[in-house]
Amino acid sequence: MNRFGQRHIALAIGLLLAGSFELRAASAGAGDPVRGKLVYERYCLSCHGPEGNGAGEYAEWTTPKPRDYRQGTFKWRSTPSGSLPTDADLEKTLKGGLYGTAMPTWFAIGHRSRMDVIAYIKTFSDRWTKEKPQPSIVIPSEPANDAASIQRGKALYVKYQCVQCHGENGQGDGPSAHELKDDWGNPIVPYNLTEGHIKCGDTARDIYRVFITGLSGTPMPSFADSIDKDQAWDLAHYILSLGPAGPRRTEEQGP
Amino acid sequence: MDRFRFRLVSALWLAVALVLFTAPASAIPAFARKTGLRCTSCHESWPVLNDFGRAYRDNGYQLRLGKDDPTTTPPGYWPVAIRITPHYEFNSISNQDTDQGPKDFKTGGVADGAMDLLTAGTLTNNVSFLVVPTGFASDGSVSLESYWIYLTRFLFKSDWFNVRLGKHEVDLPVSAHRSINLTNGYLIYGYHPAADADAGSPFDMGANQRGIEFSGHDRGSMTRYNFTIFNANDSNGSRNAWDSTSYYGHFQKYWQLDSNTLSEVEVGAFGAWANYPTTAFTSGGEPIPGEGGNLKTTSRYGAETQLWFGPAVTPLHFELVYAHGSDARDLYGGAANRNGTWNGGFLEAVWVPSDLLHWGLFGRYDLIRNSDQPIPGTPKDFNDQDQLTGGIKYTLNYNNRAEYALHAEYQTNRMKKIASDGSDVRANTVFFGIDFAF
Repeated sequence: MNRFGQRHIALAIGLLLAGSFELRAASAGAGDPVRGKLVYERYCLSCHGPEGNGAGEYAEWTTPKPRDYRQGTFKWRSTPSGSLPTDADLEKTLKGGLYGTAMPTWFAIGHRSRMDVIAYIKTFSDRWTKEKPQPSIVIPSEPANDAASIQRGKALYVKYQCVQCHGENGQGDGPSAHELKDDWGNPIVPYNLTEGHIKCGDTARDIYRVFITGLSGTPMPSFADSIDKDQAWDLAHYILSLGPAGPRRTEEQGP
Repeated sequence: MDRFRFRLVSALWLAVALVLFTAPASAIPAFARKTGLRCTSCHESWPVLNDFGRAYRDNGYQLRLGKDDPTTTPPGYWPVAIRITPHYEFNSISNQDTDQGPKDFKTGGVADGAMDLLTAGTLTNNVSFLVVPTGFASDGSVSLESYWIYLTRFLFKSDWFNVRLGKHEVDLPVSAHRSINLTNGYLIYGYHPAADADAGSPFDMGANQRGIEFSGHDRGSMTRYNFTIFNANDSNGSRNAWDSTSYYGHFQKYWQLDSNTLSEVEVGAFGAWANYPTTAFTSGGEPIPGEGGNLKTTSRYGAETQLWFGPAVTPLHFELVYAHGSDARDLYGGAANRNGTWNGGFLEAVWVPSDLLHWGLFGRYDLIRNSDQPIPGTPKDFNDQDQLTGGIKYTLNYNNRAEYALHAEYQTNRMKKIASDGSDVRANTVFFGIDFAF
């Protein structure tokens, strides 16, 4: 190749680099809040709002309301009640979406973009600078999901007053169902457990986790101090039995 | 001399760079109204789809949150949107035959606009549709640009088995109908060696075709396949159960990299084989529609690669496509002594500058080089083409209801030796307008 050609290849490469002057070295692992802001503006802003207060232009039309990030309070966690979630918890919500809400699955945008936007979401609350997420709860091995376990779970469903909110048959129509509000004062509806699309995940393990962690910001408490692990499994098996049979989550995988 | 050449080509590089770094996006705002998502969620730059938009489209415009069935949306929701681009356009073309000898033509003004009426959505879970009447210009013409129904997961509840029936664009490397530029489109889709549009094959791979498409993809549409059987566009039809039977196939594989330097890579391959009758029963000397025979093939096949530099959310996106085309000699009605073959391609770049999602810069270089001229005595480089396009798009406002953007574009195309005196013809277009969708 002559000098003329070499110069222009060099020039082409230079232009390419100039055109992508914002490019940074690859950074595996933690997200970058600066790039995360762009991800947020592209995908999240219309619901969660520019201030992260859950008051985006579409928020008025959604139920439940989009999360207000300023309190650092998150429903879907593997960490104990009151704790911040782990990055893995937040990414699980982004990848899976929340069935029945306006929160899509952000599977297609890729891991890097998800980690970046998680880093940016953390900038809305100073809890993230003052606290660390507590370790994820330990979920013991699941015992057999049999008729006896389900029967015991049915009794526990009454004992722990699940019927008050979720109703006698799990249809979300308990006596208190229409009086519930979240921490922001928005009306909140107990989940209809018969539909078979449990937002946290459809396995007994997912439901067990919710009993122990609770759903921060909602009236769903943590039962970590009041229920033993065998009872939690029995109750999880009963909840699963209320929904339709067969695998469901995979059928609902979104884009 | 060498220094002069270097400066000259450097200046050309700079010009290419100025027109190259652009960003696109085009949306169907009815989807935004339904989902609450902004146009930017699905479009890298209006109308170029990003990964999420591609997956949403492949899923039949469904988010699969239990709200896809129309009975779950407010009764007032109606899946209709419009797109139109009021604009000024200046065109010039050189070496045109007139009674006064070869002349250059120049004309300009606010163009007589046409509108796309976009209706698209879901009829029920896993059944979606799109109907696009287009036209509505001052000549009163309206045509159905597209109409199709799309059944997703029709076998085994699997994303790998989807079927589309109707008139639709085949799964091109880059959509011809929703391209970032608004002047002349991608040359490789509709090119044929003869400069006379009535000679040879009328096949345009970028035109919507009437057919059945089978497609499939994994979650996130990172791996996709597509196979379409269709009636070739503008065919007079033949005496077959499926007249002008034609085929198109496309495969793509994407890799998202855990990097902000090179954030994504795609490779793909495509091929189209369109068949046209070369004989026909006649009436009064005119071919009888649907009574043709002796089908001959126009084909084009090629490969593509895409690279996304920078963060996936604000990328500098390059797409390089190569195609080889061939028109059977019989399609030239006896004037040809061999198949017409050519090679071509384009390099397109779309750039969304960091932290400026409103801006989109775009540029493209299209190239056609003939290898075998079908008509004896034709110079080998007859109708070779070089087309350069560059533009800028500035979105003045976007939300989950509507979007409107300033759009400025320049395009120049040189067609070799097609003037009657054997000289080159150059066409230039300057375009400036406001592109809006609601």
